[in-house]
Amino acid sequence: MNSPTTFTPVGQDELDWLGTDPVPTRPYYDPEWFELEREAVFRRSWQQIGHVCELPENGSFIRRELEVLGASLLITRGKDGEVRAFHNVCTHRGTILVDEEAGKRSTFSCPYHMWTFGLDGGLISAPDFEAFHVTKAECALPQVACEVVGGLIFVHFGKPESSLREWLGPYANKLEMMPVARATTFSEYVYDINANWKLTYDNFQENYHLRFIHPSAAGPVTSPDNPFAYPTAYDFHGPHRSQRIWTKPDMDPPTGVQAMAFQRGAVCAMSDGILGTETAKDYLGLFPNFFLFGSPMQHFSHTVYPIAADKSRGVIRLYWIGEDETPSERFAREYFMATARDVHTEDRAVIERGHKGLASGALEYLHFQTQESLCRHLFNMVSERVEAYRAEKEGVPA
Amino acid sequence: MSTQTLLPEGFSGLEPFVTGWALAGSAARAGRRGASTPEERAAFHAAAAGELPRALDYLDAKGFAAFDDADERLMNLMLSLGHVALAVEQQKDAEPRHARDRAHMHITRTPAGA
Repeated sequence: MNSPTTFTPVGQDELDWLGTDPVPTRPYYDPEWFELEREAVFRRSWQQIGHVCELPENGSFIRRELEVLGASLLITRGKDGEVRAFHNVCTHRGTILVDEEAGKRSTFSCPYHMWTFGLDGGLISAPDFEAFHVTKAECALPQVACEVVGGLIFVHFGKPESSLREWLGPYANKLEMMPVARATTFSEYVYDINANWKLTYDNFQENYHLRFIHPSAAGPVTSPDNPFAYPTAYDFHGPHRSQRIWTKPDMDPPTGVQAMAFQRGAVCAMSDGILGTETAKDYLGLFPNFFLFGSPMQHFSHTVYPIAADKSRGVIRLYWIGEDETPSERFAREYFMATARDVHTEDRAVIERGHKGLASGALEYLHFQTQESLCRHLFNMVSERVEAYRAEKEGVPA
Repeated sequence: MSTQTLLPEGFSGLEPFVTGWALAGSAARAGRRGASTPEERAAFHAAAAGELPRALDYLDAKGFAAFDDADERLMNLMLSLGHVALAVEQQKDAEPRHARDRAHMHITRTPAGA
């Protein structure tokens, strides 16, 4: 019997522009380098921090902590329906304004001296305000640039050089086409990891490890002509990158409870109109720390939040359209969430081992092969920004 | 409460598993899988996996709005089965090590209620 396809991996010639040199290890564990990344990468990039479904009504709010910039953010949906982000800091004397993680309010009052702010960040009232030497207009909450594409909320702590949509380029349209743009709820799990954010992130942008670290999940998706389940294509736009996932054409059908979950889940995905979409095999990596996989059945995002040079936090969300409409849908969603969690569990353990080894200083360089080019691209993008920032600080050209 | 009302009619064969597995909350169900013995998982999976299509058909026909306590328990039992099936059908012998590593992945939100 003939093999249904012959897989051809992406050739090195397509990726030569990224370089082939060994990559220095120090940026993956050095605290000094991490300090530079805070400013060069995270203060100067759009960062994904939430989804509009978390702000379902005018007056809805969420609080988000971004440890990499030491920031607490208050994100609101105003009376006008607009999503805005502010530093969650009372403008009187800097007290953190809101403690709750999420909720619905029309005003926010600081517990310290009862300064009260509106959903648009304006100072509405403050006791004995006449005794101050400033106007209310000057006391609005400090606003942070905030834009939405595909339902995903992004913030920028600096002065953005371009709009979010321009920055994302063609990936903005892809996001708009994906189920996330229509999502109304999600499943979420979170992990803390003793590893650098880039090392953590890199794990999720190469398939080389799949058959070794995920023997149960990867077995059915590999074949003799693609034993590592390498993707069919890579794509780059500015600091962002993506891969197109390969699927085994003659994959054995699932059995047992897994088969039931897929069968019931497929019915729901079909009724949501998200089966067979053009973006179903796209796996986007948006700079600096966000992934989104287009799969309609397991449509997950993964954000790797840096905390310190050797600490990160991963937040994984499976986005869904509509609440659980039927018990079958509830079953399928819980199963898919648990399946993804199993796979990410296996990743987490091996990433920590990687960090420990690199942080020992035993190696000066690490090595990326052709099919780890997305990792190399992230290194190049971070490195360019850190070097430019360092040169800027030192007043010399990069 | 009499044992006859623990689960809807026709599912009495699963009643021995109600106390251990019919848990509310996705994190509690995932945690129960992690804390279970291989024997517990094997017994639950053997008894429940074949009942899954019939249980989901029954619950779908009834709809969430008409659920009584017995229906809710059957739903939670089937949701726990999903977790346990990953151990029995996918992880197999790797489950004990996997359970230790999985404890780091904290479920914080699901549509069913985390």
